[in-house]
Amino acid sequence: MDNALLTRYSRHILLPELDYAGQLKLTKSRALIIGAGGLASPVAMYLASSGVGQIVLVDFDKVEVSNLQRQIMHGNADIGRAKVDSAKETLSGLNPETEIITINRRLAEGELREQVKLANIILETTDNFESRFLLNRICVEQRKPLISGSVIRFEGQLSTFRCDLTDSPCYQCLYTETEALEETCSQNGVLAPVVGIIGSLQATEALKVLAGIGTDLAGRLMLFNALNMEWRTLKLKKDPDCPICSAT
Amino acid sequence: MAKIIFTSNLERHCHCPTKIVVGNTVIEVLKNYFSEYPAIQSYVLDDQDKLRKNMLIAVNNEIISDRVTLLDPVKENDEVFVLQALSGG
Ligand SMILES: [Zn+2]
Repeated sequence: MDNALLTRYSRHILLPELDYAGQLKLTKSRALIIGAGGLASPVAMYLASSGVGQIVLVDFDKVEVSNLQRQIMHGNADIGRAKVDSAKETLSGLNPETEIITINRRLAEGELREQVKLANIILETTDNFESRFLLNRICVEQRKPLISGSVIRFEGQLSTFRCDLTDSPCYQCLYTETEALEETCSQNGVLAPVVGIIGSLQATEALKVLAGIGTDLAGRLMLFNALNMEWRTLKLKKDPDCPICSAT
Repeated sequence: MAKIIFTSNLERHCHCPTKIVVGNTVIEVLKNYFSEYPAIQSYVLDDQDKLRKNMLIAVNNEIISDRVTLLDPVKENDEVFVLQALSGG
């Protein structure tokens, strides 16, 4: 890192837990973010500003005016643009040192697997169960850490699945593959900062896992309820009968 | 005897207040609760009394692993928390 970079990341480097070595790990890391909407906004903005070396953004949507209440990496002038293009401009504006790689389509399973393979960490920010179960399966198979966040109305859920570690539970140890009706933020509403809170925590977990510091949320599910401002943390065990991770 | 709490997302569908309920296992506590508040049952259990796939139950903030028989023991002053998978992003 040259002097300009040392100055840019100085408030990270000042943290003894992170230090120069931790920051260097971040600059050499590659994060894969599935989605470029509400949760992805704080996730991508904090990972970019923090100096994660490469960020891959996957999304096939265009920016709509109803997104702007919570999807804060897009602005008014971006309406009608591909979300990944709008995001790239915002993120490069925050930190030109971070390389932003955009994929403006839905990835088939094989392509998703290739992207997971290349990444050091994967962040799930989509609004559907199908994507969550598929991504979990690939992360277990490829042994990559997965940071999962979800929100609706006034509530959020967050966990880190250390699919790179043998004894850590996966998303499917928590939830069985479900045909349950999905509740999306676009149909049911969500309080904007709740998305910011959960997304910011996903980014926090990602930086910790990449730098190898602290204790992550593996084996714990965090729940947030903004209406009564309550947090609850549930312990989660690896399911010995999990069809996805029990054989690994 | 245990305290049973439902996530506020379920409260939107039907009235399910926090209550102290008699029972020595998770299923007993649930069934005793449903006898007083029957409308919530179908959101939590399927027609074979198995936990629905999008639901989770924690006893004293530990997620129970037996989703089928729900026979995990419940002691005096335990807390049973019922929650739902969220998919929004
Ligand atoms: Zn598993």
